[in-house]
Parts: sequence; structure tokens; C-alpha cells
Amino acid sequence: MDWVYIYKALPDLMNGLGMTLLISGVAICLSLLLGVIGAALRTSGIRPLEMLVTGYVEFIRGTPYLVQIFFIFYGLPSIGLKLSIFWSGALALTIWASAFHIESFRAGLAAVGQGIRDASASLSLKRWQHAWFIVLPLALRAALPSAMNTIVATVKNSSYLQAIGLVELTFVAVDRIAYEFRTVEMFASICVIYLFCVFILSGLGHWLEHRLNRPFAGR
Amino acid sequence: MLLLEYKTFLLEGLYQTLLLSLVVAFGGSLVAIFLSFGLTQQSKVVSRPFYLVVEVLRDIPLMVAVLLTYFVLPNIGLSLDPFWSTSLSISLWGGANGAQIIRAGLMSVPSAQRETAAAFGLRSWKGLVFVILPQAMPVILPPYVSLLTSLVQATSLGAVVGVHELLRSAQVLIEQTTISRGGSPAFVVYGFILVIYFVLCWLISRAGRVLESHFARPYARQPHATRKSDVTVIAAKPIDLTNA
Repeated sequence: MDWVYIYKALPDLMNGLGMTLLISGVAICLSLLLGVIGAALRTSGIRPLEMLVTGYVEFIRGTPYLVQIFFIFYGLPSIGLKLSIFWSGALALTIWASAFHIESFRAGLAAVGQGIRDASASLSLKRWQHAWFIVLPLALRAALPSAMNTIVATVKNSSYLQAIGLVELTFVAVDRIAYEFRTVEMFASICVIYLFCVFILSGLGHWLEHRLNRPFAGR
Repeated sequence: MLLLEYKTFLLEGLYQTLLLSLVVAFGGSLVAIFLSFGLTQQSKVVSRPFYLVVEVLRDIPLMVAVLLTYFVLPNIGLSLDPFWSTSLSISLWGGANGAQIIRAGLMSVPSAQRETAAAFGLRSWKGLVFVILPQAMPVILPPYVSLLTSLVQATSLGAVVGVHELLRSAQVLIEQTTISRGGSPAFVVYGFILVIYFVLCWLISRAGRVLESHFARPYARQPHATRKSDVTVIAAKPIDLTNA
């Protein structure tokens, strides 16, 4: 293991990590938003909408993520939708992650019991008040563990985007390997960096779970 | 129609994908069984290292794992061709995820069952196979089947290191026709590949559901049996299959 080489490669790797975090951040925000909207549509009671969202979730989860990326990056331009590498990557990551978010938020919504609906009806809360102040906080809390899993997976899966040439962490490593053949050093460092990111994120998730559980913790 | 014209070429790719999926499902299950033995050991000294290995295998992005096995193994004198290096990396990843699923399933069976089996003179492996495992199956199967579909999807990563499976043959087809005819057929070809993968995964989860209902049969007549609540409690814990 050549530590000096790793030290010299660090600035490049950090740039790559920056891109990894940037694109994952964009995708995480967008997919969470889509996830909440999708889950709301899925439980809206309007049959065609429900079937549409269910079909979307099933299709995205039933097809390889790498093929989805290629479809978006190489396929969409031929029907006139030309996106940059960054935005097609972000789009692919968002579409993929949102399917998983919809599933976990739907489960979260299902965890909010019927009694709560009756309770807020008896307090004469309006529909939007019930949805915004009562259901959403409870459902988000219930969905948090699996949503956190998806968020961590989003960061990990941003590495797939090296296949379309997005200059993120894995791309930087593979690119340097192509010129300098320091495979062990490069892969060891990116593995450590990815593991570090995953531990930080899942630690954050556990903290958040603990923090949000406070109203129930006393019992 | 382009797809019909290159039917045999794409079928060749599909065949490689199926072969790779089979190898990976088999290899991954072997790794999963081995690792889950380690995870369920009583002694912490034994189980802790296994937990560490499983965590690391699950936390490294699959893309990185596939590239790593392909590029790093030759350095230690192990030159595998793309097919086998992809099989190895995906099997290890699938094995780590599968081990967690099997562990959760075995843990869901109350320990009294194990003790009773022992009291009836069923030695450890007999008790495991005839008493514990049939009860753990309803918990293990649903996530395990979705793991298998993830493995099939993961085989598409072989294209990155040059296995001639379905995705790679689609890439080659697109490159060739773009050069020879002008205008990229990427939309149609990749769309078609997506549908094929979807059908493949759908068939697997269908077959899985048949198996599930087979193992759920003993509990079907007693809706208030304790098993049902056990199943829901375990199912509430998310198992991370989101990597592929």
C-alpha cells in the first residue's frame, strides 16, 4: 500500500466525493418529495391514480437500475429530451429512489390507525388539518427507518452513475486506475470513504429516530 | 424491425443473463447459509467478526464491489474472466444480504421450539431442519425472493466489466446500428431490455408467492395463532435490499 500515492490522490478523490454528495443530495430531496406525493396519491382512493402509482413503483423496483440509467441517458435524447450528464444522473437516481420512498411512506400511512381518523373527526378538524398536523408526522415517523435505508442506498447507488461518465468518486478512482494502475490503493480509499459516508448517514438516521421518538419515549 | 432482426444476438445475451443469474443465486445462497451460521452462533467472539464482514459487504456499493473484484484480484494472482469475477462479487453481496434475512427468520422462531426439539432427541441439525426451518420459512421467503430478483437485476452490472449479458448485447447492438444506419435506436432497445428484465423479475416473484403459500398453509386455518403476530413484527424491520 502506497500511502504517499493515496495522499497525492486525495484532492481528486475529495472532488469526486463532492460530486457524489451533491448529486445524492439533489436526488434525496427530490425523491423524498416525490415519495410523499406518490404515497398520498397511492392512498387517495382514486383508482386510476392508485394503479398508476403502483405500476410505477412495481416497474422501477422490477428493473435493473443500471438499465434505467442507460435508458434515461441514451434513450431519452432520441425522443427529443436531451439532459446533461448531471441531470440525467440526478433524474435516474430520483426516479429509482422515489419508488422505494413511495413504498415506505405508504407503509407509514398504513400504520396510522383508523382510531386517529375518528379522533380528529370528533375534534372537528378539517381534512387538510388532519392530514398535515396529525397523519403526516405520525406516518413520517413510522416510515423513517426504511426511508433512511433508501437514503443511504441513494448515496451508494450514485456510484452507478460512473457508467455514464459522471465524475463522481468511483469514476475518479477508475479513471486514475486507467492511467496509473494503482488498483489496490484507489479501491481501498474509495471503499473507506463510502463506508464512512454510510456510517455517518445511518448514525444520523438512528439519532433522528431517537429524537423523533421523544413524545413516546416516556412510556 | 430492428429487435426482430437481431433476435438471436439478443437471445444470446438473455441466455448469458440467465446463466449468470443462476450462478449468482446459487453462489449467493451458499454464502448466505455459511454467513448466517456465523451470525447465529452463541459465542460473541465468533459472531462479531461475521457481523463486521456482513456489514462491510452490504455497505460497499455494488458497483464498487464489482469493479473491485475485477481490477484488484489479478493483483493477488487470481485472474478471473469477467463472468466469474462478476459472479463472485454479486454472490458475496447477495450472500451478506441473504445471511441477514436467514438470521432474522431463525430468530423469529421462539427458543422454546429449539428446546422442545432437543427434548425430543432431535440433535442440532435435525432440530434445525425439521423443526426450526419450516417455521422460519414464512419469515424468510418474502424478503429472500425479493433478494433473488435483486440478484437478477444486479447481473446487469456485468456489462460494466464486459460480460456479454443482456445489457451488454443491447449496448453493442445500439453502437453497431448507430454507426451503420445513423440515428440511435437506444430508446427502443433499452426500453425493450427494461421490459424483459421486468418480466423476468415478475416471474420470479410469482414463483416465490407459490412457495410462500405452500409454507404458510399450516397457519392458514388458525388466524389467531401467535405465528401471525411474529411475522408482522419481523416484517416491520426493514431489510436493506435497495442496493441493486
